[in-house]
Amino acid sequence: MSTGSEMEAVPQLVTRLGRAQPAGDNRLSVELAVEHLPAAVEALTKARWGYLSAITGLDRTPGETEGADSGESAPPRRAQFEALYHFCRGATVLTLRVKASGENPTLPSITAVAPGAILQERELAEVFGMHITNLPARGRLLLSEDWPENLFPMRKKNTPEAIRARISEPPPAPLPASSPERPGRFVVPIGPQHPALKEPAHFELEVDGEIVKDVSLRLGYVHRGIEKAAESRSWIHNLYLMERICGICSHIHATAYALGVEQLAGITAPPRAQAIRVLFAEMERIHSHLLWLGVAAHQAGFDTLFMFTWRDRETIMNLLDEVSGNRVNYSVNVLGGVKYDIDDPRADAIRRGVDSLERRIHHYLDIVTADESFLRRTRGVGVFPTEKADVLGVVGPTARASGILRDVRVDAPYSAYRDFPVTPVTDQGCDLAARFVVRIKELFECCRLIRAILGSFPPGELRVDVPRRIPEGEVISRVEAPRGELFYYLRSAGGPMPDRVKVRTPSLANWAYVLSVAVGLKLADIPMVVVGIDPCFSCNDRMFSVHQVGRNAE
Amino acid sequence: MPAQIPRSLRGIVDRIALWSRINSPWLVHFNSGSCNGCDIEILATLAPRYDLERLGVKLWGSPRHADVLVCTGPVTRQSRDRLFRTYEQMPAPKFVVAVGSCGITGGAFHGCYNIVGDIGDIIPVDVYIPGCPPRPEAIIDGVVQLLTKLRASAVVQSPLRMEAKA
Repeated sequence: MSTGSEMEAVPQLVTRLGRAQPAGDNRLSVELAVEHLPAAVEALTKARWGYLSAITGLDRTPGETEGADSGESAPPRRAQFEALYHFCRGATVLTLRVKASGENPTLPSITAVAPGAILQERELAEVFGMHITNLPARGRLLLSEDWPENLFPMRKKNTPEAIRARISEPPPAPLPASSPERPGRFVVPIGPQHPALKEPAHFELEVDGEIVKDVSLRLGYVHRGIEKAAESRSWIHNLYLMERICGICSHIHATAYALGVEQLAGITAPPRAQAIRVLFAEMERIHSHLLWLGVAAHQAGFDTLFMFTWRDRETIMNLLDEVSGNRVNYSVNVLGGVKYDIDDPRADAIRRGVDSLERRIHHYLDIVTADESFLRRTRGVGVFPTEKADVLGVVGPTARASGILRDVRVDAPYSAYRDFPVTPVTDQGCDLAARFVVRIKELFECCRLIRAILGSFPPGELRVDVPRRIPEGEVISRVEAPRGELFYYLRSAGGPMPDRVKVRTPSLANWAYVLSVAVGLKLADIPMVVVGIDPCFSCNDRMFSVHQVGRNAE
Repeated sequence: MPAQIPRSLRGIVDRIALWSRINSPWLVHFNSGSCNGCDIEILATLAPRYDLERLGVKLWGSPRHADVLVCTGPVTRQSRDRLFRTYEQMPAPKFVVAVGSCGITGGAFHGCYNIVGDIGDIIPVDVYIPGCPPRPEAIIDGVVQLLTKLRASAVVQSPLRMEAKA
């Protein structure tokens, strides 16, 4: 492993600014003073050391139990917060830790040096009540417009009951504020319920004739508050909650969570369980990519392809159903292993299904690379240059179609990917056509992996026992979801429930791309560009939403 | 029903309207906070294998052309108003099908701070289809139950239903 050298490559400036200490395998943690944060981030960006993967807020206010039973009225506890900026490069995760305290904790914005951070900084501001200085943003972001001022749901003192008491029976939410009218400009609102959107979001596209001049995006329609809910449910209970963050990539969410909890508990799932996890993950990738291909074809007006892909997708749905009993939310994972075994007849069924699918996938690759009318919708549309993609920290097929090799299965192999290495697919095209090619070529890789796993299936147990109370600590669990890197931060205080679960989904990292390429395109291309990242709002909104105004074409 | 139709013909016109409604219900889909699981199963139901379209069912984008509102997910605070407005925009008579456990009780998200309730708390629901997510067969069965219910009622619904619980 080259991890040691990755660590050494961390710019000296960063380690000089703060107190650096290793924090487990492949992790380095640097404690910084608030005022040094922008300089440290700038040093990392200038040196092109990895990309900003996630920002995690923590409420570290001492709990009720500590020093509260002294009889006398204890002095009011001063609220303490911590913000963690996770940078990833290869298998290494560098965490910059910054502390802030008081009722109005203040942090400097790092958006000027790391533009991809804006979404996550606004999340911090809204759910933790962090005051982020110089943040180029305004208005409600994640929570609805009628959410009470100064009610920050992720603060520990705001228990679910306390929040419910303050927001009981709201009036219907007012409409999202429109961008201010400017003469000669015309705003096309799309959503939240719209034929081009399978999930709710609200776009306001300011157009000049056919050309989009400005985009503003309001998400949050599917925001449910899962991260808060996770703090009041047991470790086992949460496995099922995490699986329901997203119905399309449910397995990978549960896998990321289970891997994290196992790491905290200091146990490892048996090899057979790990192989089954990866097998399901690859089957899920096939179903997700085919689903995406169909929806994308539908957006391009190519409904025949939509119907064909969805017919063929049923092959993989059947297999998932046959093995797990469920078509969606297969519930394969348990903490410490998996529930279902794959016996020989089922393995044969999977092989047969994958073989027949592979023939169809060749056909789809032909279509997206040779069909002239389809290519007119994709070639040269939504071009996202490599340089820009790198800076904005996009992940998954979106990054790989811009020529950036960013794949957790390759960079930091987890679970059975260590034994069954992945050959990543990249394309230098940078446009929509490249995204089609990358995703379809990945399907071949999925088929190959599934066959490889079934060919040398490790024998043995399916699960090991996991303690009910998870030891104190924090871990980062990164996996490659169909849409890109999925980032879990888990923190245990030693209790029966997690202290913090932070999920950064791939869609969140990829929105930056849509906002940056939409301006200047034709209105009719917008649905295709949006679908190009395969956005998943339910993943995304579990914690997030965006409102970006005032990006003119000039 | 337009007022100029003579009283003697109204029964026949009503029967024709009901017949056509049962044979060709148009759906509009609204996701008010779902995890996507139900939504992809609804789409799968309309795709070639299950092919709900053979029952005359069509998924349509505009609520103003739709007879049936298919809802998924618990209702989040921000989508509450949108769900209500989508329902209001549909012409009467209109029907609501709630797909998935979340639409019935909030499901796995029951108790989350941004959930204001289930579908039935916001608009009247005719058919609930339980499951997490329901299988396409269950969704088809739900639609068939709705159509059966319609046929059995044999009375064109009163526009009074338009007043939702708010």
